[in-house]
Amino acid sequence: MEDGGWLLRFPELSRDALRAIKKSFDFGYRQFSRTYGEAIENVFEPLLQFLIWFEDFFTETPWMLIILGIATLAWLASRSWKLVIGIVVSFMLIGVFGMWEHTMQTMAMIVVCTILALIIGLPIGILMSRYDRAQSAIMPILDVMQTMPSFVYLIPVVMLLGIGRVPGLIAVIIYAVPPMIRLTNLGIRLVDKEVLEAADAFGASYWQRLTGVQIPLAMPNIMAGVNQTIMMALAMVVIASMIGVRGLGQPVLKAVTNQYFAVGLFNGLAIVALAIVFDRITQAYGRRLQEHTELR
Amino acid sequence: MMFNTGFWKGPLAAGAIAVITGLTATSAAADCGKVTIADMNWASAELAAYVDKFILINGYGCDAELVPGDTMPTVTSMSEKAEPDVAPEIWMNSVRQVINASVKEGRLAVAGNILTDGGVEGLWIPRYVLDAHPELTTVQAVLKRPDLFPASENKSRGAVHNCPSGWNCQLITDNLFRAYDMKKAGFDLIDTGSSAGLNGSIAKAYERKEGWLGYYWSPTAILGKYDMVKLDLGVDHDPKEWDRCTGQADCFDPVPNGFAKGIVTTITSASFAKNSPEAFAYLSNRSWKNVVVNEMLSFMADEQSGGEIGAEEFFKRHPEVWTKWVPDAVAAKIKAAL
Repeated sequence: MEDGGWLLRFPELSRDALRAIKKSFDFGYRQFSRTYGEAIENVFEPLLQFLIWFEDFFTETPWMLIILGIATLAWLASRSWKLVIGIVVSFMLIGVFGMWEHTMQTMAMIVVCTILALIIGLPIGILMSRYDRAQSAIMPILDVMQTMPSFVYLIPVVMLLGIGRVPGLIAVIIYAVPPMIRLTNLGIRLVDKEVLEAADAFGASYWQRLTGVQIPLAMPNIMAGVNQTIMMALAMVVIASMIGVRGLGQPVLKAVTNQYFAVGLFNGLAIVALAIVFDRITQAYGRRLQEHTELR
Repeated sequence: MMFNTGFWKGPLAAGAIAVITGLTATSAAADCGKVTIADMNWASAELAAYVDKFILINGYGCDAELVPGDTMPTVTSMSEKAEPDVAPEIWMNSVRQVINASVKEGRLAVAGNILTDGGVEGLWIPRYVLDAHPELTTVQAVLKRPDLFPASENKSRGAVHNCPSGWNCQLITDNLFRAYDMKKAGFDLIDTGSSAGLNGSIAKAYERKEGWLGYYWSPTAILGKYDMVKLDLGVDHDPKEWDRCTGQADCFDPVPNGFAKGIVTTITSASFAKNSPEAFAYLSNRSWKNVVVNEMLSFMADEQSGGEIGAEEFFKRHPEVWTKWVPDAVAAKIKAAL
């Protein structure tokens, strides 16, 4: 480049240098997946069996039992007849429009995802609330997980684990677990100092204080985290189906590529219905917890 | 030069062109003039677009430029607004009727087939599997060995990787799966979701030298990079049966059928064909074999580069291909520009 050119054009790395960087990066990843791919796949094997078991459970249980189960759950969580009736009607509609199996597959995915998010998110959230240093280290990681376009990590995950449920689940969890962690952290941090002092005055150990005071008082926030996790997991359903996860995402994807407007709309609405059902149940439960603890 | 960037060059060049065309309006039409080339969003078409751009600029003195495109929008825009001028790679299967109608109305012109071999679809297995089991050349032979192609989620059954969700080939593969009774043979049809998922499953199998069986097509970077063999379906393509059942979504009694060779052509607007006969003649001559395209696509994928670098490399590696497309004088000009 002639004199002064760098003033107008950003002095970027040369094409060869850039290519070398990209290639060595890819090569490194390929080596990694070649060496450890199978071992990592074996690690996730129990998770796969768990997922398959859940999916079989949801798809093979008679539909009436499923609806009954969800309705009972809704009643226990909310004690609201309106909600229960709304849920029964929306599941009936899903069934009538022939989307039962896909909906159950998606539900199995969401339930497993939520369980895993709880298992992963709670301890990390607690850790972050205890140590400020952990909080400042983990926060940026959560930001990356929530904003990094999912396609960027979808393909490496496929290279490592192939297509199917487990890689899909991992992609969904990367996106859906941050709110769980954030709100657990926040909930525990928001517990009144006076209450903690009282617990200390009674000579509570750290573990007693955590399980007997902090977590119960943070429960409404943790439930909000669960709620957000479920919503975000549902938002990822279509993306996950791009790497072969079964469920409502498949027909949506098919509709998108073929401009089948009605198919897309029906299945999209089924996802919305699932979201509303999960949202109302978890929120109502969170609210009832708040009433118990009189924290409203 | 200080101001040698697009932003500053554009207005100056436009002014210069306006002056020149104003002076020589008649001869400009006889020359090539401004040509827009559709740069489709898949790799083989991108490569073709850059090759055309280079040859039209350096060989025919056109002012060629690429515009982004996709099959349907580009064909519609070409036929309605004569813009862009050239679509280097159109897979006719999906848009045959639209194009034939527009050609009849004199809005579009078909320059010729860009792929000598045509687009090739089929069921493929990796070469190393064939080497280890030389009898696996036909679908029937493969169907006897589900154990060589285990599904990742259920190792007791074989996997047939389907074409991405919603693509036309998905329903065809689905029909063939039933036609060959693959379920009974111990295979499951695996949904790959997207082309990224399908590619990923091949890449993964290849890195670990695992069995893989599924739908794929050529020319593609994947087939350039990974040596795969197409299985013999045991029957020839039967267009009647294809229209009745194999290609239909709600076909209840599919029977074995072969894939048709995909016709892949270059389309131009009618005005371009009329105004730039020499450039049009080049586009009619320009066709390459899938082996060459696969090789270049795989080069692009390895280098993680786009069509521009791919085209440069193609001119260097395969003069025996491109020099046949153009008259000697033009070939000399292109060589000088390399």
